[in-house]
Amino acid sequence: MKSKEFFELIFNPFTRIAGWQAFWLGLVFLILSGVIGGFGNVIFDGVIDSHLVKEETMLQSFGYLGISMLTLVLVMWIAGLIISKGFRFIDILGTMTLSKAPFILLAIVGFFTKMPDTNEIMKNPMVILSSTSFLLMMILSVPVLVWSITLMYNALKISCGTKGSKLTTAFIIAILGSEAISKLLIYFVL
Amino acid sequence: MKTYITFAKYNFNNMLPTNCPSCQAQLKVKCLKCENCQTEVTGSYDLPLLALLPEIDQQFILRFVINSGSLKEMSSELKLSYPTVRNMLNDIITKIKTDEK
Repeated sequence: MKSKEFFELIFNPFTRIAGWQAFWLGLVFLILSGVIGGFGNVIFDGVIDSHLVKEETMLQSFGYLGISMLTLVLVMWIAGLIISKGFRFIDILGTMTLSKAPFILLAIVGFFTKMPDTNEIMKNPMVILSSTSFLLMMILSVPVLVWSITLMYNALKISCGTKGSKLTTAFIIAILGSEAISKLLIYFVL
Repeated sequence: MKTYITFAKYNFNNMLPTNCPSCQAQLKVKCLKCENCQTEVTGSYDLPLLALLPEIDQQFILRFVINSGSLKEMSSELKLSYPTVRNMLNDIITKIKTDEK
């Protein structure tokens, strides 16, 4: 596979896959992230958020994931309606669901990571350095976040067929808005 | 990011030139010839709108017509997603509208 094709497959698979196909594939990653995250005490409490917690039930894990996913899709759909016309809801649903797939990496790393004691961190922040897996998760969260946001941007771009500053502005507002709304919903619902 | 597609079935090697190689201005048709009786018609005719489009867009339109205007069939033929094919069509529509003006 040529590097250009590989780059496109990783950061913009939506030129090849969208709609229901992307939705089912994204749903598989989402369920796996929920299950692994549930066992590994990793919560995805926001559209572009994940944290390691001390204890978590499977219901909470899927609750956080469901709310953040639903918020992302609805906010991006509204953003799409504002900047474009004649696009399909299923394309937004499918591509946005698949955009969350990279978070499975954090769920996997989190599964093998033990949350350091908060009181100990407060006393001595250098305690973090003693946990290799916790450090790895912290470092990994940056590229995973960048990857996922790039996927979300390309998902909106392909689904709505919009380009330029209109797309970028709408995306920035939508991503920040959906993050804030999902946080509020999680706070009030769960 | 651009999506590269190929249409293997149609050979567009001898494309009608549409722009002047010297100044890039749009060319006109000056002469037409009957291969049967060698009659030549000379004048100044505008190029058809579709001929002004790039080769890849002409191929896309040809395949689109052959597929009965079905974007779903186009997407499965080109192995591209439905919105990608729809965006390609929208880009062609924009180009045609610009050329019309």
